[in-house]
Amino acid sequence: MGENRTLLATRILLKALFPVMKVVVTDDPKMGKRFEGVSARVRFSVTGEAEPLGTDVVFEEGELSVDATMEGAPDVVFSFKTAEKFNAFMAGKPVIPGIRGWKRPGLIIKVVSLLLAMKILMPDARPKQEDKQRLKVKMIVYMITTALSQYNKGGDPEMSKWTGKQPDRIYQMSVDGEEIAAYVRVKAGKTKAGRGIYTRRRPFVHICFNGIEGALPVLLGDVEFVEALGRQMVTVEGSPEYAANLNDYMQRIQALIV
Amino acid sequence: MALTDAEIKELEEQAWQLRHDIINVTVWAGGAHIGGGLSMLDILVLLYFKYLNIDSAQPEMDDRDRVVVSKGHGGVGFAPVLARRGYFDFDDLKTFNQFGSPFGMHLDAAKVTGVDVSTGSLGHGLPMAVGLALGARTQNKAWKTYCILGDGECNEGTVWEAAMSASHFGLTNLVTIVDRNGYMIDGATEEVMELEPFSDKWRAFGFKVLEVDGHNFADLAEAIDTSLAADGPCVIIAHTKKGRGIDYMEGNVKWHYGSIDSTLAGKARESVDRMYGKA
Amino acid sequence: MSEVTGTTWTVYDANSMSQAEIYGHVLCEIGDERKDVVGLTADLAKSTKIGLFGDKFPERFFNVGIAEQNLFGVAAGMALSGMTPFVSTMAAFASMRACEQVRTDICYQNLNCKIIATHGGISFGTAGSTHNAQEDVAIMRSFPNMTVIIPADGIETANAVRACVDWDGPVYIRVGRGFEPTWYDTEDYGFQIGKAVTVSEGTDITLICCGVTVLQAAEAAKVLKEEDGLSVRVLNLHTIKPLDEEAVLKAVLETRRVITFEEHNIYGGLGSAVADVIAESGKGCAFEKVGLPDAFSLVGYPEDLYAHYKLDTNGIIEKVREVMGRDFEEDEDWEDEV
Repeated sequence: MGENRTLLATRILLKALFPVMKVVVTDDPKMGKRFEGVSARVRFSVTGEAEPLGTDVVFEEGELSVDATMEGAPDVVFSFKTAEKFNAFMAGKPVIPGIRGWKRPGLIIKVVSLLLAMKILMPDARPKQEDKQRLKVKMIVYMITTALSQYNKGGDPEMSKWTGKQPDRIYQMSVDGEEIAAYVRVKAGKTKAGRGIYTRRRPFVHICFNGIEGALPVLLGDVEFVEALGRQMVTVEGSPEYAANLNDYMQRIQALIV
Repeated sequence: MALTDAEIKELEEQAWQLRHDIINVTVWAGGAHIGGGLSMLDILVLLYFKYLNIDSAQPEMDDRDRVVVSKGHGGVGFAPVLARRGYFDFDDLKTFNQFGSPFGMHLDAAKVTGVDVSTGSLGHGLPMAVGLALGARTQNKAWKTYCILGDGECNEGTVWEAAMSASHFGLTNLVTIVDRNGYMIDGATEEVMELEPFSDKWRAFGFKVLEVDGHNFADLAEAIDTSLAADGPCVIIAHTKKGRGIDYMEGNVKWHYGSIDSTLAGKARESVDRMYGKA
Repeated sequence: MSEVTGTTWTVYDANSMSQAEIYGHVLCEIGDERKDVVGLTADLAKSTKIGLFGDKFPERFFNVGIAEQNLFGVAAGMALSGMTPFVSTMAAFASMRACEQVRTDICYQNLNCKIIATHGGISFGTAGSTHNAQEDVAIMRSFPNMTVIIPADGIETANAVRACVDWDGPVYIRVGRGFEPTWYDTEDYGFQIGKAVTVSEGTDITLICCGVTVLQAAEAAKVLKEEDGLSVRVLNLHTIKPLDEEAVLKAVLETRRVITFEEHNIYGGLGSAVADVIAESGKGCAFEKVGLPDAFSLVGYPEDLYAHYKLDTNGIIEKVREVMGRDFEEDEDWEDEV
């Protein structure tokens, strides 16, 4: 059965999208400076569902990490009455969360700026500057691989079936010429997303983009995958059918969370 | 060009000699496909003593015409022709079929000088002939390819695959001849697996059809001339008699393959002499 | 909400996606140097990459339509006329539909026909048994004068194609569907017809492989070294005939355990050829043949079939562990790394 679609989307947002906030803080110098020396715990919480949902974004001397256990007193809390509202907020729709922790207004402003920076992930965000383009590609690559794993862990029936019948396989994604790579390991229904190039095994499918110029248009959906292959913007090594399956699931996830 | 009377007389002499040769080889071999060897003999004589651009002293000559005897079991008829044409010593044929002999039922191109293509399994010859013709054309060579098929052999699908492709490729350097003697092992062709309307079938595959008496040199020559000059593939359906020359064999399905003792051999020789008015 | 589209492609697009175009380009290079080379196919120009040669040299390329017996007969005729034909069709049709032509027209007359048989083994997966060639190596091996090569990847295929132009007599090169991963990163690793290539050195066990299994075994060897501490020798025996008996004997003597892997029936292929050598040597050796069993293959994507028949990295690791009789520890941490 699995979770319902709304909750599945929430799960993916919390577990796949939030962690890439880290990339913004480490790779965008302005944002990095903004959070320099900051130590705080910021909670995002969905209150109205059957079970408590949410995650903490923890800053330690400016370093961001995501804590799903939510143990520890938060300095600021962004709360949402329903999972639907939370999903809409993350999709950039005009939803106003409840905010507690006005004792640290500076922190709230910083966090809001970070949330606004996350809009770079919106499908219609087309950054013109090279470093912003790089940022977007990196964030998408990291996010989508984790999202795929979470989509499976969340129990989507078709994805579960797909992962269920596979032996130990690595699905690798990378951008040639950049330090951008992430993978999903699949084995008999289990999945694990990871950063970088998986070294213990040769990938079963390796989708390799030819630089940012190759990656961005494809990830934006401006160039169709097969056309991109023909134009050598991307190469696929391994089973073309399974690469297509992966592409399929990535599109479904995008449709779910946007 | 049409044959002169003198040429025809010479060819008849050769054919008479060779019919005797076939009888002898059949005896030496202990048995052979004598019926089919005799039915196609006149075709072979015309080719080897009139039409082919060949030189028995240079069997590997680059620009020689090629011959594919697709009905490869006609070896008993083919080998003597090559011998008389000078490719090897006639007496070599005495070892026919014996252990280690270069001569067997189906002639091996690697062992018998003068044989261009090894055949034996029916249906293989025409595709190879098409390949030869295509090869010649691709290399801008002028030599021709002649392919002789059996009529029963035309049951084989590959004959028609080859015909289809010869037509598609518009081959003009290929001469296809069917030895239409009307018989196969199990009986008359029309009883075992009907070929008629035979000419229609060739026409449907894009061939121009020429039907002639396969034992008449003048008619055969005319057909070959027409074929060589045509702007597309032609097939010469040569109506022949299986066992032609030996009265007790002619038109008798039993003599598809047989062995003859000295009595039968004697009768055969007499029959051949009578046929050529040398009795 | 966007519609689920996934990736759609046709058989024509597939050509730009595959890694195995390399040999098609090599054939074109050869066509430049050698005017006697011609290409032939039976309505499979696009699927077999020989179409690349056809595009470049249309006057030296012949498509006979869906008539494989005629294809090989015509090829034989062209060889007899002094040309060097490269003939390409699917392995199932080359080895079975045109079996007699290959044997009686080509091998018997020892003609210079170079056969590039595609979609060998079960690499066509979804097409099922009618298009599989589970027994082609067994068939081709049995013909005198025939040389049989199963290259490991597109690069090795290019090497094989180049090498067979001057190799005397008929050659049968069997490849997959074109999406097989590439193992070699250069063509200069010492490819020689009839000589095994040592992919990795080792002393505990030898994996003798050909075709797609070479890469899978090489990867398995890495894992086995790291996780099990095993020293695994992997031999790429790309030429099944003539077989590099010396390499096989060396493996028997030096490692005493041999497993063969092939995308082929276990009767009559690489495994049987190696078994012949081992049995005749009189030396003791733990030996197992891994390949397709004596049954027609299931339908499925080739990668899934390879996994099922234990011809992929996972399967090979499993087989080796079985033969070595060892336990292993898995990486059991399934938390996403963020």
